Amino acid sequence: MTADGNKVKKQIAVSAPEEFALRDEVRWLKSEDLNLFGYLRDSMNKIEPVYVSTYPPSECGIAMFCKDLSSSVAKYTPFSKPSIIAVKREHEIEPYSRVVRYQILRENRQSYLDAAKFINDSSIDIVSLQHEYGIFGGDDGEYALDFLEALEKPAVATLHTVLQNPSPNQKRILQEMGRLCKAMVVMVKMGRKILLETYDIDPKKATVIPHGVPNVHRVKASSVKNALGLSNAKIMSTFGLINRGKGIEYVIKAMPKILEKNPNMIYLVLGETHPGVRKYEGESYRNMLAETINDLGISENVRFNNRFLSLSELVRYLCATDVYITPYLNKDQICSGTLAYAVGCGKAILSTPYLYAEEVLADGRGKLVDFESSDSIAENVNLIMEDKELKESMENAAYIYGRRAAWFNVAVDYLDLFHRIVTAHQSRDQANINAKE
Amino acid sequence: MEMDLQINVRKHEEIPVIELSGEVDAYTSARFREIMLDIIDSDGVKLVISMNDVEYIDSSGLGALVGGLKRVSERDGKIVIICDKPQVKKVFEITGLEKVFPIYGTEEEAIAAVRS
Repeated sequence: MTADGNKVKKQIAVSAPEEFALRDEVRWLKSEDLNLFGYLRDSMNKIEPVYVSTYPPSECGIAMFCKDLSSSVAKYTPFSKPSIIAVKREHEIEPYSRVVRYQILRENRQSYLDAAKFINDSSIDIVSLQHEYGIFGGDDGEYALDFLEALEKPAVATLHTVLQNPSPNQKRILQEMGRLCKAMVVMVKMGRKILLETYDIDPKKATVIPHGVPNVHRVKASSVKNALGLSNAKIMSTFGLINRGKGIEYVIKAMPKILEKNPNMIYLVLGETHPGVRKYEGESYRNMLAETINDLGISENVRFNNRFLSLSELVRYLCATDVYITPYLNKDQICSGTLAYAVGCGKAILSTPYLYAEEVLADGRGKLVDFESSDSIAENVNLIMEDKELKESMENAAYIYGRRAAWFNVAVDYLDLFHRIVTAHQSRDQANINAKE
Repeated sequence: MEMDLQINVRKHEEIPVIELSGEVDAYTSARFREIMLDIIDSDGVKLVISMNDVEYIDSSGLGALVGGLKRVSERDGKIVIICDKPQVKKVFEITGLEKVFPIYGTEEEAIAAVRS
């Protein structure tokens, strides 16, 4: 079913088609041409990374990021086995895929030491830690430090949150991570600047690699709208796990002014309430949004799709979108997977000026609107919808920027970083062995 | 704005040269693979692929090349690459495939290498 309750008329192939990826080619060679298989096996680089993170079916942005990153890197390393160490709550039973080789129980401190020992005793070459304070146990996720302290293999931390005004404990944790990791990856230059200025991280360790985006070649929005049963509509959308920090109410309140100039506009709010939020306050935020929609009499023009969308569904909705909006309320937000995805699909994007959006949407790649301002949203949506040239120029600029951040490119950046670190680590080990001899 | 893959095929002293321009990725690599295998079957097993105008190559593009390599290996052939784009060369270096597909800076060097 579609956002407007109609049956999907036709599936449009908007996400990447099935690949004859390197890994598949090599697998076939094993049975078809053993000599060539052996030649490739001897020639190609091997590296065995482990990713420490939340992981699907856990529903959170970092879990999805980890899955995308690990599978994208693995496509270039057909002779290496990637693995995941999943961080989970003790009482949760997650039906993980086989790539998850070990589980850390979030609030169990010993579990972090056991995971480090598992890695130390394995053939794993490098650890990629996905960091956000909330996904690890202890105060501000400080158990992650126990893990890193006990680790004998090199580690790289990807930082999904870099606070400009951290508490003393949050600052201490990130600084300790900086000491214990060989590199810290942030997704925008501003994140690196904060790491250096606020946390005194060694500049040699702070690296910028963009947030990955799906590989999507552009299609006409009209063809996708048709498939979604929205052929006569203009579409605005916001997607992601819904919570109060998203600021969706400001877009809803902007709708009357938008509808004055664009009467067939539909605003799609795609995604379920964040599971962590649902636990504490149920659907109260979404109910508040629904009440506002009813009060404004715009229920035909704002539609929810209350579930976790698959990547292909998400891409289809994004491709059908005329204006994508992240009306988020937290100025310090340094990363947004949903904004990155919209950029990757080459959309005209509006956003409040949180740190990540300011940088990613610079140079005409999008437009910034004031925080908590329905007027600013309405004014800019109407401007984009009125000015075809402006809309196209924003879409083109976003798309070109997004191609560089396609997962297949981001994976190469990570793999390059992993190789450099592992090589340096091995030479140091060798130097130590030589020194002892 | 066009970022898909353009494929041009010509000959340099009887050696087929496939010129790629754009992106060799999951959307386009099947077409590249098909054209390359056709050329190998009809025009010979010594082949030069020019990637100077390639913006990006992903693992499916590398997969297509390995598919081509399998076809030429069956008949003692060779595939060499021309490329001066650091971003593209990095993909070969990072995977180790630069040892499998020799990369040259100029067409003359590539032709000489594929003949040897």
